[in-house]
Amino acid sequence: MDFTNFDLDEFFGMGDESNPLMMLLWIIPIIILVFYGQRIQLIVSSNEIKKDISKLEEFKNDSRQKLIHYIKNTLTPKDDPVKKIDSFLEYFTIMPIDLDPNGIIPKINHLVHSREDFTRLQVKSLFNEISDFEITKVHNLLEIVTTLQLFHKITRHLYLTAKKQKNFPLILPLQMMIPFIMEEANALKDAVESMKNGQPMGDGIGPMVVGEMMLTTDKQNAAFETVWSKSAYEGRELLLVKAEGPNATVGRPGEAIENIIPQNKPDLIIMIDAALKLEGEDSASIAKGFGAAIGGIGTERFKIENVATKNNIPILAIVIKQTIKEAITLMSEDIAKQAKVVRTQVYEMIEENSKSGQTIMIVGVGNTLGIIQ
Amino acid sequence: MSKSERKITNCYTCLECKSCKNMTKRKFESGDHVFQNTGKCSECDGDLLVTMIFGETIE
Repeated sequence: MDFTNFDLDEFFGMGDESNPLMMLLWIIPIIILVFYGQRIQLIVSSNEIKKDISKLEEFKNDSRQKLIHYIKNTLTPKDDPVKKIDSFLEYFTIMPIDLDPNGIIPKINHLVHSREDFTRLQVKSLFNEISDFEITKVHNLLEIVTTLQLFHKITRHLYLTAKKQKNFPLILPLQMMIPFIMEEANALKDAVESMKNGQPMGDGIGPMVVGEMMLTTDKQNAAFETVWSKSAYEGRELLLVKAEGPNATVGRPGEAIENIIPQNKPDLIIMIDAALKLEGEDSASIAKGFGAAIGGIGTERFKIENVATKNNIPILAIVIKQTIKEAITLMSEDIAKQAKVVRTQVYEMIEENSKSGQTIMIVGVGNTLGIIQ
Repeated sequence: MSKSERKITNCYTCLECKSCKNMTKRKFESGDHVFQNTGKCSECDGDLLVTMIFGETIE
């Protein structure tokens, strides 16, 4: 091919002998893209988001339906629970004002506990008789449906606002966030089944490790839905703490540790919890570190850090890496098999970091559904 | 149907005899809990303990 006689004017259709139609052929798309580019991008992006919003609505409706079906068919409600359940789903929480953050933790703690107590009472009021195990399950199921409803409402709001105002930049944050929202929503949707069946979830690995250590011990109440017991290992006294299984609860480990420490001051605290894995990391891999391994809103971690600092107690952590889906759905075989490995590592940690005669506190953090002690 | 929707997860309960350490695996039954005693071992009549409850995904 010969490129030596290439004429730029001819190429752009601006030469004397050029066809004006050829000129229009490249000018029109540029004009369209300059004036309507954002709108085209908005249409393309919003179509994708619209599909995800429909999925979120489907997840919300399905999980609500499954909860109602479970209450009506497996449990024995006093009357038709639909109206009451629907009213629970609309409850909101106003977080304390943080303009002056000093002293905000007790306020958040009070708010969270009040909400939990209220929901528990409301769940209880649906039935004449119901076990604690079923109350915690229904409570967790309600939280799942409420979260899915919130995801749906917020994404729909952002989408409709951007569309109404024909404002493309407004849809960009939603476009960036939607894969993460959908990942969590998918996990929540899948969690409903194992929750209904009372099967352990990936997050239960911490209580599973400590649960076996507590098996032959005398269990006492440490805080609401939290138990503790004493054990011994190689001349050390062990203080074992976990949520009260087999209920679907994480308990109140912060409060429990605050209650135990004044009478039984430990020399070391070891916390075992599930942790979200980073992309590229292997599921069910184990990592050790320093600091309080506990998730949630932060109030329990604050309490543990506070009491440990006041009493000069070091905190070591062992975490079992997993995805959000693995953490809240039925425990995978890989994660379940790690319980034995983690237990061995806890004993190694005790030997390496303490002397005979010292006291070690071991806390299994996570939802203990389907795991007794 | 998407890839994730084609996956089926079966739940299993693993049992271990406290005496002879014989391990068995069966389908999860309602009321199974980890570390629960569930009857006697068929080999040695020792106590059977639920050691694991987990899901296996079939594509």
